[in-house]
Amino acid sequence: MTHALELELKQMIIDTLELEDVTPEDIDPDAPLFVEGLGLDSIDALELGLALQKHYGIKLDAESDDTRQHFASLNHLAALVEARRVK
Amino acid sequence: MKASARSPQHWARIQESGTLIGMRIMVWIRRRLGRLPFRIMLGFVIVYYYCSHSLPRRASRDYLARVWPVHAGHAPRWPAWLGLRHFWAFGQSLMDKVDAWSGVTPDISLSAEDRACLDSAIRSGRGGVMLVSHIGNLEICSALSDSRDDFHVTQLMHTHNARKFNQLLDRSTLRRGPEIIEVSDITPATAIRLAERINAGGFVVIAADRIPLSEDGRTRRLDFLGATAPFPEGPFRLASLLRCPIYTLSCLRDEQGHRVEFRVFDDTTTLRRCDREAWCSDAMQRYVEWLTDQCRRYPLQWFNFFDFWHCHDRTVY
Repeated sequence: MTHALELELKQMIIDTLELEDVTPEDIDPDAPLFVEGLGLDSIDALELGLALQKHYGIKLDAESDDTRQHFASLNHLAALVEARRVK
Repeated sequence: MKASARSPQHWARIQESGTLIGMRIMVWIRRRLGRLPFRIMLGFVIVYYYCSHSLPRRASRDYLARVWPVHAGHAPRWPAWLGLRHFWAFGQSLMDKVDAWSGVTPDISLSAEDRACLDSAIRSGRGGVMLVSHIGNLEICSALSDSRDDFHVTQLMHTHNARKFNQLLDRSTLRRGPEIIEVSDITPATAIRLAERINAGGFVVIAADRIPLSEDGRTRRLDFLGATAPFPEGPFRLASLLRCPIYTLSCLRDEQGHRVEFRVFDDTTTLRRCDREAWCSDAMQRYVEWLTDQCRRYPLQWFNFFDFWHCHDRTVY
């Protein structure tokens, strides 16, 4: 994963979820984003999904994609974006 | 309040319990023998159904006792007769659906205001969410979307919901229906799909008067026809996330035919995240007011034949 993409994603998470007290450095790329770690919930997941679509044109397949896995950590998210981005 | 899908009163367990074969026979009669024989048969079926299904009968009686004073200014005078008329309206609506999807052009009318609103919503190209309820007959609206090339409708449905009926329609109708996205749970994948439809100028239909199947689905109790009833938060949260215009849509039957009502409800395009919670509360309240008004005007077209108020877990109501 490139450093630029990592930073971009961190900033996207912060902006999308309006995490006012969080800086990009606070997000550990390996730490879980949901429940523990950043403590995001299922509504945040929907919002993040929509942000991924808006920024990178990512599509997820409800049948075959394991969203939980893609959203497990920042690293997983970055892998998803690298593999599937169309913009 | 949480209602379990396993609890016998949950709507998903009770709805559409008419047997497939029976409905096929009815469709056949309607098609081959025409309207009058069909109506006579439907009369028998409705009376049979009314007498043999105590749960929907009681739910109907409970609902009518609540709505009639609002509608007519007094309690129902002939509760059993009114109940039968309520069931009849439901049977009629099922067959209107079959008609609408079989190529029989339904008699649709929109008031000038509703038509202007619909036209400008479509022309804007921004798409949107259409909040609906189980009052009236939405399949007529599908026919409306079929008749316009620029009106693309996607319907969000609980996986469990009306599967039998859709099977029936698949086999015996000629038209394509609206695109249906079946969900048991809203995932990021679903949200993305819906956002794509809306970005392309399409409209997403979401019913906001059925509580979720899953245990952790969030609901809120709101005052509705004299007592609090659980309403789902999900449709409103979704509407706030999708950042788009929101409308209300209904299709009600009156003497003249089907009356489609399409109104602007709100717009979440610029809604800030921090205002979302307050928006959801306010929007849910306004949705219930809209629903109350629909019930007041068309009391017999309410097709939630289950214990909507979930009185079984309340000591007083």
